[in-house]
Amino acid sequence: MKDTTIEIRWHGRGGQGAVTSAELIAMAAIAEGEYAQAFPSFGPERRGAPVLAFNRIDNANPIRARSSVINPDIVAVLDPGLLYITDVVSGLKQNGTLIVNSPKSLVDIKSEFGGPWKLAVVNATAIARELLGVNIVNTTMLGAVVKATGIIKMESLVEPIEERFGARAKRNIDACAKAYKEAEIAEPVAVRARQKREFQVEKWPAWQELLPGCVVIEAGSASQYRTGDWKSQHPESDYSKCIKCGLCYIYCPEGCIVPKLGEEGFFEADMYYCKGCGICAQECPKDVITMVEES
Amino acid sequence: MVKNRVSMEGSLAVAEAAKLARTDVVAAYPITPQTHIVERLAQLVADGELDANYIPVESEHSAMSACLGSSAVGARTFTATAGQGLELMHEVLFVASSSRLPIVMVVANRALSGPLSVWGDHSDVMAARDCGWIQIFAENVQQAFDLVICAFRIGEDPTVLFPVMVNIDGFHLSHVIEPLYLLCQEEVDKFLPPYKYPYALNPDKPVSIGAFGMPNIYTEAKKSQDMALRASKNVILKTWQEFGKLSGRNYLPVETYKVEDAEVLLLTMGSFSETAMIAIDALRERGEKVGLIRLRLWRPFPLEEFQKAVAKAKLIIVLDRALSFGRPTGPVCSEVQAALYPLKTKPEIVSFVGGLGGRDISAATFENIIRNGMEKAKSGRFDELEMIEVRQ
Amino acid sequence: MEKVITMEKNEVPFEEYLAPGHRACTGCGEMLAVRLIAKTLGDDVIIANATGCVEIVSSPLPTTSWRVPWIHTLFENTSAVASGIEAGMKAMTRKGRYSRKTKVVAMGGDGATADIGIQSLSGALERMHEFIYICFDNEAYMNTGVQRSSATPFGASTTTSPAGKQSIGQMTWKKNLPAIVAAHDIPYVATACPSYPLDMINKVEKAMKVKGPAYIHVLSVCPTGWHSQSNATINLGRLAALTGIFPLYEIEQGRYKLNVDPAQLSPIEEYTKLQGRFRHLPPEVLASIQERVTDEYVKLKKKAAEV
Repeated sequence: MKDTTIEIRWHGRGGQGAVTSAELIAMAAIAEGEYAQAFPSFGPERRGAPVLAFNRIDNANPIRARSSVINPDIVAVLDPGLLYITDVVSGLKQNGTLIVNSPKSLVDIKSEFGGPWKLAVVNATAIARELLGVNIVNTTMLGAVVKATGIIKMESLVEPIEERFGARAKRNIDACAKAYKEAEIAEPVAVRARQKREFQVEKWPAWQELLPGCVVIEAGSASQYRTGDWKSQHPESDYSKCIKCGLCYIYCPEGCIVPKLGEEGFFEADMYYCKGCGICAQECPKDVITMVEES
Repeated sequence: MVKNRVSMEGSLAVAEAAKLARTDVVAAYPITPQTHIVERLAQLVADGELDANYIPVESEHSAMSACLGSSAVGARTFTATAGQGLELMHEVLFVASSSRLPIVMVVANRALSGPLSVWGDHSDVMAARDCGWIQIFAENVQQAFDLVICAFRIGEDPTVLFPVMVNIDGFHLSHVIEPLYLLCQEEVDKFLPPYKYPYALNPDKPVSIGAFGMPNIYTEAKKSQDMALRASKNVILKTWQEFGKLSGRNYLPVETYKVEDAEVLLLTMGSFSETAMIAIDALRERGEKVGLIRLRLWRPFPLEEFQKAVAKAKLIIVLDRALSFGRPTGPVCSEVQAALYPLKTKPEIVSFVGGLGGRDISAATFENIIRNGMEKAKSGRFDELEMIEVRQ
Repeated sequence: MEKVITMEKNEVPFEEYLAPGHRACTGCGEMLAVRLIAKTLGDDVIIANATGCVEIVSSPLPTTSWRVPWIHTLFENTSAVASGIEAGMKAMTRKGRYSRKTKVVAMGGDGATADIGIQSLSGALERMHEFIYICFDNEAYMNTGVQRSSATPFGASTTTSPAGKQSIGQMTWKKNLPAIVAAHDIPYVATACPSYPLDMINKVEKAMKVKGPAYIHVLSVCPTGWHSQSNATINLGRLAALTGIFPLYEIEQGRYKLNVDPAQLSPIEEYTKLQGRFRHLPPEVLASIQERVTDEYVKLKKKAAEV
């Protein structure tokens, strides 16, 4: 039997709605009479953490595979920051499609992430902010995905979005349509752009390496985990206004605001861990700290 | 009078063993027919004869949970339960074994509700079969005493670190008075070194116990646990050998009785085995080539020993004291079938279930079971499980 | 001398015993509370942690966020595990095999404490084990996706007490767990919130000095489950106290004392309007909540006035 299945991998952050994107695509495809599935990858990571969601769509045969998508035909990236912390094109098929949400121009993105795949760029965050008032790009990104791949018809999304969003459906459909209009597309190039960052390959222990009961003897070893990758905004401080009260240090849920090196009494956030919650900026009595969008 | 020969109820013998093992913590909830064990331990603590903390918990779930805590902090820990109590502990049993905490527990085996029955059978332990504990069966009061002492040493061995369950039949062992050869404190101290948990909760060297496992590590965790449990058999064998040197009483994973030339083997577990021996003797006197196999070690299943013990027989008659509802067969019989299936030449297997909810099985009934089993084998009725002595 | 950070006249221990890099949601009030409490408890502690958000985000094998001895076993049994740790330590101390005066601390969420674990909690309190139990109350089963618990407040919409045409959300009033705990006649019970960090730290220090069990009930703002902004976490905790919805008090040897007692309670809308879980509530329901909150606060004040 000829393989007719199209596979999509969604990269998002917990709370951004990547799972919803996948679900809406599947619902639309099923409404068109195709076979489709949508499913999340379950992990312990929470709001803000990188998460994955998957689709399979097939216009000929029922879908039997239930395992994660390893070699996607389409990769959609909902958060610009994820491009720099995850190897989003991992396993992407030759002549597949990469769709990214980024404020950068197509030319810039192509210079960083171009390769033997079709590339689509849309500033979904700006569209969502404008039309929805929030930085949730799940419906907006659908417009760009449909434009770049034609995997479903735009009008097929209307009903699923109405069902899911009720009174807010109209605005979401508008955002989706705007992204369809604004998404810019570049054709595949033969050579992959050089990567700026080596992505860490997770290493998992063999069974013989586990201690009895899987006891962990290295205290605090989870501190190797870079939760700083979760943030979509980061704090910046104007120390001239700082009264060294220490409230930012106290109120940080990550415990990542630490005494500033060499400057007695000042504090600064460790970007390796800062998730960008904004509590320090909110609670600072002297407005020392402002939150700045990640670029 | 022989030195150290006393008369003692099975439950008290178990308590005495826990005392001689210098148990640090007992956490238990009373349930028939286990009560005499924990009452005795509470009294020993109250009288200052056992220097331990007795935690009178509010449920069996909490009993086993408290055992997790005390064992993890490095205290030698003992508990006992039965029937419904073991079931209420069920989820905690898995944590004890996967956390590799060498708690020792005696189960006074009891039927499961409903209808409510406080009386003995093996439904409780069979439902806990796959909980990852080392599981051992005693057949009399002396064995209950000996095997509890051995259980501490086996479980606490640094290469083992598994909880150990010693099964004694409810009432038939827990409430019977028999002669017992005690060991003195000095002998037990020599045999059983002090408990030292290598990964104990201690601020000097902070560890995390019970971290959670993503799909990409859980399988490795289980493999590691299974390999370790299977490997524990070597320590069990060694421990029982050394105990034999100390006491003159020898224990094996698979015990036999008159099997040398036996063509037909009866398989039993627990206290009914001794009654079955009477039947074997009677049939032997009439020239029948019958013998008895008693599974002492239930987990880890002693596969090689078992295959060897039954290899020459033509027929095995298995008596289960529990049902597997909807069965292909009884829980022990299923294991026996699985253990023998890979062999090229193997005995036929006939399955019986009896002794449920405290129903007695006499020597005469065992004779009937064996004869009936041989009949069935002759007529090729291997696929039916028969519940014995059921009123029609 | 332990290193401290000085805040006005107060000193906060500098050392972090909960390492950064935990996987909690952005703006998590619960992990903030855990972090500050862990600082206060110091290094001579053993923690027993119930299944829940704190456990999951802090212990992904093969790593741990904990720098103090820590054990997680199950959801409903943490008080029993702590009982065993305490008893084991006592026996070993008596027998000369343990020489520290380690504090045993049990932690659980509101589900682990008020619902599934209330039996083991009650048992451990009744047996008077020397341990501190800390309930991190984020007012629903957040770890599994915001299902209602008996600690979910009246009117809150959760995934299993959803607002709908026939429902205003949670239709029962929040279980008064501190009162249930206090009924065990234990020496120290307190409510706390990391929005009042020094008050909370002070309470943990008191609990550490108590002989017998101590209980601290910590309101833990959950941006994910409450549908609030991640930077509003501290403010929401503050408003919970100032509206009287979650009053901060202590019960020492059965005697009540209010720690934050505004001259005039703020209207509850100041608190509810910042949270999506209350967004659906019509004015008459809000009014009935206001009435109940005011009434409960009056009763609490009366208790605090008794000698």
